[in-house]
Amino acid sequence: MLASHPPAPRVFALNKWNFPDLGIGVGLRTVHFGHILAKRPSVDWFEVLSENFMDTGGHPLWVLDQVAERYPIALHGVSMSIGSTDPLDREYLRKLKALAARTRAHWVSDHLCWTGVAGRNVHDLLPMPYNEEALRHTAARVRQVSEILERPLVLENPSSYVEFASSTMTEWDFLSRLALEADCGLLLDVNNVYVSSFNHGFDPRTYIDGVPADRVVQYHVAGHTNKGTHILDTHSDHAVAEVWELFARSCRRTGNVSTLYEWDEDIPDFATLHDEALKARAYREEPARRPARFARGA
Amino acid sequence: MQEVVVHPGSIDEALASRGARAEVPPPRLGEIVLPSRTLSPAQRMEIYQRMYPLRMEEALEIDYPTLKAFLGESGFRRFVREYVASFPSRSYTLNRLGDHVPEFLRTARGLRHRAFCHDLARLELAMTEVFDEVETPALSAAAVGAVPADAWPSLRLRPIAAFRLLELRYPVNAYLQAVRDGARRRRPRRQDGWLAVFRRSYRVRRLELSRPAYRLLSDLASGVPLGEAVVAAARRRGPASAGQTQLYRWFREWMKNGVFMGLEGLEPSTNRL
Repeated sequence: MLASHPPAPRVFALNKWNFPDLGIGVGLRTVHFGHILAKRPSVDWFEVLSENFMDTGGHPLWVLDQVAERYPIALHGVSMSIGSTDPLDREYLRKLKALAARTRAHWVSDHLCWTGVAGRNVHDLLPMPYNEEALRHTAARVRQVSEILERPLVLENPSSYVEFASSTMTEWDFLSRLALEADCGLLLDVNNVYVSSFNHGFDPRTYIDGVPADRVVQYHVAGHTNKGTHILDTHSDHAVAEVWELFARSCRRTGNVSTLYEWDEDIPDFATLHDEALKARAYREEPARRPARFARGA
Repeated sequence: MQEVVVHPGSIDEALASRGARAEVPPPRLGEIVLPSRTLSPAQRMEIYQRMYPLRMEEALEIDYPTLKAFLGESGFRRFVREYVASFPSRSYTLNRLGDHVPEFLRTARGLRHRAFCHDLARLELAMTEVFDEVETPALSAAAVGAVPADAWPSLRLRPIAAFRLLELRYPVNAYLQAVRDGARRRRPRRQDGWLAVFRRSYRVRRLELSRPAYRLLSDLASGVPLGEAVVAAARRRGPASAGQTQLYRWFREWMKNGVFMGLEGLEPSTNRL
């Protein structure tokens, strides 16, 4: 459990774009395709890994079309490399935009990170220094992407294992300023906040309380692996109580926001995954406390 | 940081590598990366460096499971390390990481049964490509029935997008099936073979062909008019020749499997497809 800390102020802030609260969703994963198509489980929505569907015309795309017919979809990517110094990949963005249109995605998200330079892609969410130069650079690229996609980009806070000496501000200050200066939304991953707080030695509640509530349009909750000296963001287990506490704390500020449980390694059967996701119900705000527009699901 | 992450050696070797040193001399790492309460800057960098080969191996194993079965755990790990050093990912998707595996294996040094591995990789790459190709509708029986008899010789039969032809020097298709079935695998032995890899109802299928059937399908897939391709098949001497009954069987099987998607070359007045 987290040590004593003042409770978060109860501030309901409708997100700036009035993106709807889609409820509690899970990631669309290959191992569950058969179950989802056959049983049509009562999941509120699915998050789709963009890169898994951008270059296929086969079975995965066919499944995605079926799922998008029946469930709300949000796209989530890992390769935009918004923090890189390489030029933006126009072909990637063109395909992303087409996929968003095809699935009628409610929003498109990626990570605050870089994935490679000099034309290479290491396919990892590499951390950035948090300083004025990086902020200006990233904000300009976010605005460019939003223009190309013709919708606000939503960025997720990464989990990280390295901090740079050249950082002059905290990650939550960087994200907050980026959201305002580049006019983007935030996907707040409360597990990532917890993982980074352990790895870097800050209080995760300060992070949660420091993010602009009206920019949070989605939550991620996930499990991790504690190696003793550091925590790895493995998405391979149930979420620990401290992560759920952070989630509840943040919900008190943002109201109910679309919530997704991530499980990407040792993926369990669909029912187990969905049950884990539905634990979020206990931590979300009571509907009566929600602002009217949230209650209507506007 | 990237130079360190992709380095195949230990973290100390990675930090001392020429590329990394050009950015940050090892003694000055602490001026760039902060330590944590429990880890030094180098140990923190090592977390990323250790994950990189695992991610590459995982991606290549998805596309090349039979190659991995042939090479074994340690052999496959070594292959991945050498391959990604030669062909690092330059795409936003890991699905394209393995595109150069056949090319790499063709000339890979110190690899036992290199030609067999090369053929096996060609087969698995073809299966991956066919899996991801765009869906194109197969030629229907009704469309075939609507073609006037005298139009057939000049027609070109276009294969579906999810279609590949392979000429092989080793029986890798049988090996792949044996791995899937958990059956006993034979030692690689030279044996020519011909294969069509295609997708039907979103499932990847493999159809073994005789040499003459392969040559006829190759001609058709490359746009040779049907009449010309059939005459060439009938005129071929030796094992590549084909009789009328055989031709009929082949076409029936190919149509049944939906390997053609369209006809080209019909006169406008008869183009009712």
